[in-house]
Amino acid sequence: MTTVTERSGGAAVAPQGDILLGVRDLRRYFPIREGALQRVVGHVKAVDGVSFDLRRGQTLGLVGESGCGKTTLGRCVSGLSEPTGGGVYFDLTAERAAQLDRLLAVPEAERTDAQRAELDALGTAHRVDLLTRQAWRRFRRNTQVVFQDSFSSLNPRQLVRDIVGRPLRVHREASGSALRERVVELLDQVGLGRQHLNRYPHQFSGGQRQRISIARALALDPELVVLDEPTSALDVSVQAQILNLLHLLQQEHGLTYLFITHDLSVVRHMADRIVVMYVGRVAEAGPTEQLFASPAHPYTRALLQASPDLFDDSTGFRGLEGTVPDPARPPAGCRFHTRCPLVTADCGWEVDDVVRWLEEEPGMFDELAGVERGSAFDAALTFGSDDAARRLVAALRSDAVPQAMRDALERADVTGARVDVAFRPVDEVELTRRGPDHHAACVLEDLPPV
Amino acid sequence: MTPPRAPAADVIATVTDLRVHFRAKGGTVHAVDGVSFDIRDGETLGLVGETGCGKSVTARSFLRLVPMPPGIAAGGSIMFGPERVDLTTADDRTLRRIRGDRIAMIFQDPAKALNPALTVRDQIAEVFSEHRVPDVLARAGIGPATADGWLLRRRAARRARLPERFALALPPLRSRSAAIDRALDDMIADALAETQIPNPRKVMDRYPHELSGGMRQRVMISQALACNPALLIADEPTTALDVTVQARIIELIRDLQQRHDTAVLYISHDLSLVRWVCDRVAVMYAGRIVEAGPTAQVLADPQHPYTRGLLAAVPSATHRRGELVAIEGTVPELIDPPPSCRFAGRCAHAAPACRRRDPILAPVADGHEVACFLHHPPDDADADDLPTADWVAR
Amino acid sequence: MADIPRRVPVAAPLAESAWRVRARRWRELLTATLANPTTVIGLVLIIGMLAVALFAPLLTEPNTPDPYQMPRDWGALNEPPGTPGHLLGTTNTGGDVLYGIIWGARTSLRLSLIVVSITAVVGVAVGSLAGFSGGRIDEILMRIVDVFLSIPELIFALAIAAVLGPSFRNIILALAVVFWVKYARIMRAQIIHIKKNDYVDAARVIGDSGWRIYATDVLPNSITPVIVQATLDMGHIVLVGATLSFIGLAEAGLAEWGVLVSEGQAGISAGRWWASTFPGLMVFLWALAFNLVGDGLRDVLDPRTESAR
Repeated sequence: MTTVTERSGGAAVAPQGDILLGVRDLRRYFPIREGALQRVVGHVKAVDGVSFDLRRGQTLGLVGESGCGKTTLGRCVSGLSEPTGGGVYFDLTAERAAQLDRLLAVPEAERTDAQRAELDALGTAHRVDLLTRQAWRRFRRNTQVVFQDSFSSLNPRQLVRDIVGRPLRVHREASGSALRERVVELLDQVGLGRQHLNRYPHQFSGGQRQRISIARALALDPELVVLDEPTSALDVSVQAQILNLLHLLQQEHGLTYLFITHDLSVVRHMADRIVVMYVGRVAEAGPTEQLFASPAHPYTRALLQASPDLFDDSTGFRGLEGTVPDPARPPAGCRFHTRCPLVTADCGWEVDDVVRWLEEEPGMFDELAGVERGSAFDAALTFGSDDAARRLVAALRSDAVPQAMRDALERADVTGARVDVAFRPVDEVELTRRGPDHHAACVLEDLPPV
Repeated sequence: MTPPRAPAADVIATVTDLRVHFRAKGGTVHAVDGVSFDIRDGETLGLVGETGCGKSVTARSFLRLVPMPPGIAAGGSIMFGPERVDLTTADDRTLRRIRGDRIAMIFQDPAKALNPALTVRDQIAEVFSEHRVPDVLARAGIGPATADGWLLRRRAARRARLPERFALALPPLRSRSAAIDRALDDMIADALAETQIPNPRKVMDRYPHELSGGMRQRVMISQALACNPALLIADEPTTALDVTVQARIIELIRDLQQRHDTAVLYISHDLSLVRWVCDRVAVMYAGRIVEAGPTAQVLADPQHPYTRGLLAAVPSATHRRGELVAIEGTVPELIDPPPSCRFAGRCAHAAPACRRRDPILAPVADGHEVACFLHHPPDDADADDLPTADWVAR
Repeated sequence: MADIPRRVPVAAPLAESAWRVRARRWRELLTATLANPTTVIGLVLIIGMLAVALFAPLLTEPNTPDPYQMPRDWGALNEPPGTPGHLLGTTNTGGDVLYGIIWGARTSLRLSLIVVSITAVVGVAVGSLAGFSGGRIDEILMRIVDVFLSIPELIFALAIAAVLGPSFRNIILALAVVFWVKYARIMRAQIIHIKKNDYVDAARVIGDSGWRIYATDVLPNSITPVIVQATLDMGHIVLVGATLSFIGLAEAGLAEWGVLVSEGQAGISAGRWWASTFPGLMVFLWALAFNLVGDGLRDVLDPRTESAR
C-alpha cells in the first residue's frame, strides 16, 4: 500500500507543529446488496484513499460537489462511521506523525514484528477506530460536530437547556444550577441568552438553531469541531452572522475546524487550507489563496469558474459537461477525465468510456450484446450485427470521440460482429507536489491559461 | 388602488402594485405588499432576496399558483402580452391557454415538477397536445380540412375517448394515427435535443426518477420551452444542483433565451449567480422592492442600505475573516404592518421619518430606482427627522 | 411553499421555568385535541363507559360467588324492558340485561387494557430491536412479523382460542399473541425514520450511551403512532373479543357483551330484541368512542398536520 507520503516525499504531511488530525489513506466503502439473499455485488467507494493533515488552530476546508465523499469523510473523522481501510489519527505530535508515516511506508507484508508492534501502539493511542477506552473518551470530548440541517440536528422534544446541557450531563461535568449557569454562559457566547433556556427548537429561526448547535458543540470545550455545511441552509445575512461567530469562537477558544462545504466563496473566506475532493479522492490540496490564485487541477479551476466570486471578473463563468463516474466503478486512471476540458491521452481512457459513448449514441447501445473485459483498458465488445461493429470502429477513429481518446487508443480491430479495443494503460493518478504544501493529482504539470 | 401603468413599447409584462396577503393565526401576513416592475421583451429580470421576501409568491402569482386560501389577492395587477390580459383576474380558460404556451415556469426541485408516473415523452407530449395541435397535425402531414380531421385532432390532443380510440385503430385511420404519434415523438426529441440532452430518444422512454438531477432539470426546461413561450419564469431552478451542473444549466438557459428571444423572470437568493444571468435585477425585502436597475450598476453601486448590507455579507476574497457585515436583527413580522420603511428596524441610517410612511420606488439614475428616504426624502418632514449617510450626496 | 412567511415571536424578557413551558405544551396538545367536536363526543363516551366499568359494584349488586357470571332470576324469564327490577329486561335464562351491560363494560375494560398493554410493550420492544439492529436480526424479525400479518387476525385468534379451550382468559391470550405485530411494524418504521435525523448522530458525537439515546431521542419521537394505534386498538380488541365470545369461545353465562348477544339471538325471531340489542349497542359504542378519540389523537399528533399549522 503506497501512500501519499511515499510518492511525494512526505510533503503532504505537516512538516512541523501539532497535527490534531492525521488522515492516512482513508477508505470507506458501502456494500451494494442484491437479490433475496442480499449478496454483496460491489461497493460504493465513497472515500477511496484520502490523506491530509489538519494542524491545531487551523481551519481546513473540505470542498467538493455531491458524491465526492466529503460528508462521509467528515463522519469518519468525527467517529460516526468506521473506516473500511486506512485510518484517522487523532492528536499526533510531529515526531509521532513522522514515525507513523515511516511505518506506513513499509508495505504490510514486509513489516517486521517490531514494526507491527509499534504500529499497534500508535493505533491504540491515536487511531480513532482502535482507541483504548480512555483514549476514546478523550477523543470523544475533543471532537464535536455541527450539522447542516439545523432542524433535524436538535431533538424537537427537548428544551434548549437540555440540548446544550446534555454533553455536560453525559460526561458528568456539572449538574443542577451549576449546569444551568454553564448553559447560560454557552448561550451567551453564541449570541443567545438566558431567556432562551426553556424553549423548544421549533420556536427559533434557522440561524438561531445553528447557534444552539454551536453552543452544544462547545459545551465540552473541544479541540476539534467538524462543521458539515453549517451555513448552507441559511440566508446570506444570517450566514454572515454565523461565519463571523465561528471565527470569533475560534479565536477565543483556540479551536481547530474541519469545514466541509460545497460553497467556494464560504470556504475561501473561512479556510487556511483547502482539500478539493472528487469521486472519493483528493484532486488538489493546498493553501487557500494559492489554490484560488493558481489552481493546479482542472477540476479546481472548473469549480472556480462555475461559482465566481461576486466581485471578481477574472475567471469568467462556465459549467462542465459530461457525466460523473459511478462511485461503484470509478475509473482506473484519473477520475475527472470524463469531464475534463484539458484531458490528454495519458489520463486513463478505458473501456467504460467506450460503453458510455455507446449509451449516448442513438441506436448503438441496443446493438451491444456483450462486453468481455481483459482489464479496465482492454475488452472485446460483441454486437448484434457486423455493421454496428464497423460503425463503432469508424467512430473511434473519427472526431465523434475526443482527440485525446483517439490518441490513447492502441487497438480497435473488427472481426465480424466483434470489436477488440485496447487503450494505453495508466496507473491511478497520485498527488504530486506543486509548491510548498500544495499538491494536485493531475498528469499536467501546469494548466494553460484560461 | 393604483391603476395599471402604461407600458413601454417593448414590455411583455407589467406588474403594478401587486399585493398578496395570507391569512394566519393572529392576523394577515403581507407577503407581497405593493410590488411594481416591468419585464421587457427578451430580457432577463432577476428577482432577488432572502427567505420570506415575497419573490416566490410574486413569481407564482403570474400563473395563479398561489393557493387562495390561505392566500388573499389583495390588489394590484399583472398585465401580460400585447393584448394586456390581467393575470390576476383572468378566467380559468384564458389562464389555461396562457400557461405552458405563452408563459412557462420551471421550479427549484424538478423531482416535484415532473410527474413521477409519466415517462419523459408523456410529460412533454402533454404540452404539445394542449397547445400545438395544428403543428402536430402539420408535422404528421395531415391537412387541416379533412372529414375525419376532428377525430385526428382529438387524437393529437390526446382527448380521444374509448369509442373514438377504437375508431382510430381501424385501418383507414390507423396509419394517420401512427403518423401523429411519430410527429409527436419527433417534436419531443427536438425539444429535448435543444437542451443538449444526449440521446433524446432513449431519454424519452425514461421515468424522471431514472435521471440525474441535471438531466431532470433539462427535461423540465425542454417542457417549458417546448411551445416557445414569451415569458419563462424560473424559480430558483438550480439551487438543488451541484455547482458545475448549475453553471451548465444557466449557460443553457441563457443560450436558449437568446435563440428564442424569450423574456425570463429569474428568482434567486444567490447574488453571485444573478450577476451572470440577469440583465436587470430587482431586490426585494419584506414584500417590497427596495432597489431595481441594471445588474452591473446595482451590484457595483448599490443605493439602498439593504442591498449594500447584502453585498457586504456575501463572503468573498475582498472581505476579511470575521468581518463580514452582518445585518443586525431579523426580518420583521409582516402581520398587519404599519406604514413604515420595512427595513428601518435594521438600518444603520434609520431616522424618525423612516418610520412614519412607506418609501416609494423612485429613480436615482437612468433605469436605477431605489425606495429609500435617503434619496427621496418626504417633503413635509423636518430636516432633523431625515436619515443621512455619508455615501449619499445631498 | 418556502415563501409563505411564518413568524414566531421569540424574544421574551423573562425566562419561564422549565416545568411551566412543558406544562404549556401539554395544555396546547389538550386544547387541540378538544377542539375537534367528534373527539369530544368520543371522550365523553369513553368517560361514561369507564365510569360504568369502575363503579360496577356500586351500580348493581355483584353476583355471588363470581360477579362476572350473569345472575339468574328464574322467576323472570324473557321479561321485556321496563319490568320493575329489570330495567332493560331479562334474557331467556333470567339474566338481567342491565347487569350484563354494566359488568360487561368491566370485562371489556379488563380485556382491552390487558391485551393492549401486553401487545404494545412486546411490539415496541421487538420493533425497536429490529429498527436499531438492522441487518440479519431485522430481516428475521420482520419475516416473523410478516408471517403473523399474513394470517387474518380473526381467524388466527379464533384458531388459538379454539385450541386452548373456550374461556375468556384464553381469548385474552389469543388476542395478545395476534395483535402485537402491528406495533412492531409501526415502531420499526418510525425508528428507521427517526434514526435519519441528525440529532441522533449528535447524541452519539456527544458520547451518550445507546440506551440513553434510545430513551431520550428515539423513543419519545417515535411513540406517537403507537399511542394512536393503542387507542384505536382499545376499541378494536373489544370488537374482536366480542366476536370470539359470540361464536362460543368464552364460558357460557359470562357477563360479557358478546356472550349476551349470542345468548339473546335465538329470541330475536320471536320478537325479544332486548337481550341482543343492548349489548350489541354497547359494543358499537365502545368501538366508536375509541375510534373517534384515536382519530382525533392522530390529527393532533401526526407531524404532517403539525407542520401545516
